[in-house]
Amino acid sequence: MIEAVGLTKRYGDKTAVDGIDFQVQPGRVTGFLGPNGAGKSTTMRMIVGLDRPTAGTVTLNGKRYADLKAPLHEVGVLLDAKAVHTGRSAYNHLRALAATHGISKKRVDEVIALTGLESVARKRVGGFSLGMGQRLGMASALLGDPAILILDEPVNGLDPEGVIWVRTLSRHLASEGRTVFLSSHLMSEMAQTADQIIVLGRGKVIADAPVGDIIALAAGNSVRVRTPDATRFANLLSSKDVTITKTDPDLLVVNGLKAAHIGEIAAGSKIVLHELTPLAGSLEDAYLALTEDDVEYHATSVADETVPMEPVQ
Amino acid sequence: MTHSSVTTATVALPHRSSRLTFGGVLKSEFIKLFTLRSTFWCCVIVVLLSVGVGLLLATVTAPARDGVPAAPNPTNLQQQAIAVRDATVGTGIGQLVLSVLGVLVISGEYSTGMIRSTFAAEPKRLPTLIAKAIILGVTTFVVGLVTVFGTAAIIFPLLPGIHVHPDWGDSKLLLSLFGAAGYLAVISLVAFSIGALIRSTAGGIAAAMGLILVAPTILDIIALTTGAVWAQNLVTFAPTTAGAKLYAYVSSTPSTTDGVISLDAHQGGYVLLAWFVVLFVAAAVLLKRRDA
Repeated sequence: MIEAVGLTKRYGDKTAVDGIDFQVQPGRVTGFLGPNGAGKSTTMRMIVGLDRPTAGTVTLNGKRYADLKAPLHEVGVLLDAKAVHTGRSAYNHLRALAATHGISKKRVDEVIALTGLESVARKRVGGFSLGMGQRLGMASALLGDPAILILDEPVNGLDPEGVIWVRTLSRHLASEGRTVFLSSHLMSEMAQTADQIIVLGRGKVIADAPVGDIIALAAGNSVRVRTPDATRFANLLSSKDVTITKTDPDLLVVNGLKAAHIGEIAAGSKIVLHELTPLAGSLEDAYLALTEDDVEYHATSVADETVPMEPVQ
Repeated sequence: MTHSSVTTATVALPHRSSRLTFGGVLKSEFIKLFTLRSTFWCCVIVVLLSVGVGLLLATVTAPARDGVPAAPNPTNLQQQAIAVRDATVGTGIGQLVLSVLGVLVISGEYSTGMIRSTFAAEPKRLPTLIAKAIILGVTTFVVGLVTVFGTAAIIFPLLPGIHVHPDWGDSKLLLSLFGAAGYLAVISLVAFSIGALIRSTAGGIAAAMGLILVAPTILDIIALTTGAVWAQNLVTFAPTTAGAKLYAYVSSTPSTTDGVISLDAHQGGYVLLAWFVVLFVAAAVLLKRRDA
């Protein structure tokens, strides 16, 4: 288990991580989401002792990272695919890391095979593609067969097969009772991989909930209603807890009422409905909704349009 | 990378019996140093340059240098001094190459990001710094021995041509040659400490060259042109000048005349070591405090 208490990191005036508390539980995959500059990587670096917290603590199974007797066996880290000397071969890189803990060359060969690096293992890392660098990073993380895995953007630069591999592996490792903590910008990927999501915005935890709950946050209670009597029906439904958007002459998007309830009201008032569809958000919508106010670096939007929500499949 | 291979991820649990040890960190740093091409090339260049310059000096130039007078029949002492001078003349260039190696050992990890992998495996950091220093120091000492004794072995047979008959049985001669190897090792460790302080390859090499090459030269010019006592004394305590006492066959006696300080071989060695210790401790303190 990873536990952060009041974890804070300041660089001069700038607060990168602002007194966050969270727990990452074993036996499941915990996703770490947040816009660029939200403090995800800083948090991960503090967990493994690379950055010193300005305040607060973070422990792994109750111990500070620096106090672990065998860090590679207890925690596997993929912080940055480029955390490798470019002049050394992948094999020698892993052998040097393994040597610190007396891990056998056999295990080095195993992780090379596991990450599909056999054909390039003897080549210098400087010539590696981003994807191969990520695989080497995964090989380093798995080297000590650790109980906790901390993976910063593990699928960044991987081909679709590699993405599926990381997903399958993460789920498999969690199913064995390990703690898997991974960050990603790919929301769809996170929706398929993670059980729990922690969302970080401007250095603060803005959500920490099971993935289903996070998606439900965005879904709200939107229902699409198509009726020839749109104006009259809108007046019927309106109350202070309900928002109604009329997008077409015959189309309403209703927020704050369940589809079944809307149907009952329509039946009671003898209004003909052509469509009644509950709308579900994706993790992407949830994430955007959550971090809307917490994005550090805003891109200027191309067109200020509302992206229509996808109907439930 | 197939799905079926996922199951092998955790088959091998027996590795768990192993743990982080200082011996492991030493071995890791040994592997790291000797799996980079730059290490090999630095060492080869040092040996070749030293032999080359030694040969040049032994065959081409007259022996009348460094206060050793040219004489048709030099004394035994003069002959030994010439032999040592020619065998160790390569240290002047060799120290620059080994300093670059010393800086690279640590700055190469910062510039490539490797340091994060290193400190994730060994989070206390200080054992890594110490292990790196030990591996570097032993390696450069061995390279120094190969260089100096190799150069001596190649050029000593040529020296009788200039009326110099080196005596391998002379313990002072052997001590000077060992001193040169020791000097090269400590100078590379000074550069290593600078690299650990500055953390960038370009900055580290510039600073190391500044201390080893530029500063003593400028001070020397000031001392020669103005005769300023402070400049002369600063030169005396520069790591290169002080360290050079370690491989000077004719050792000076410690003295202070008109405020100008002179060091003997032991004092010179201690001054050089002090440079290393001060810089290394500063590097160690910052290593613990700074973010990697």
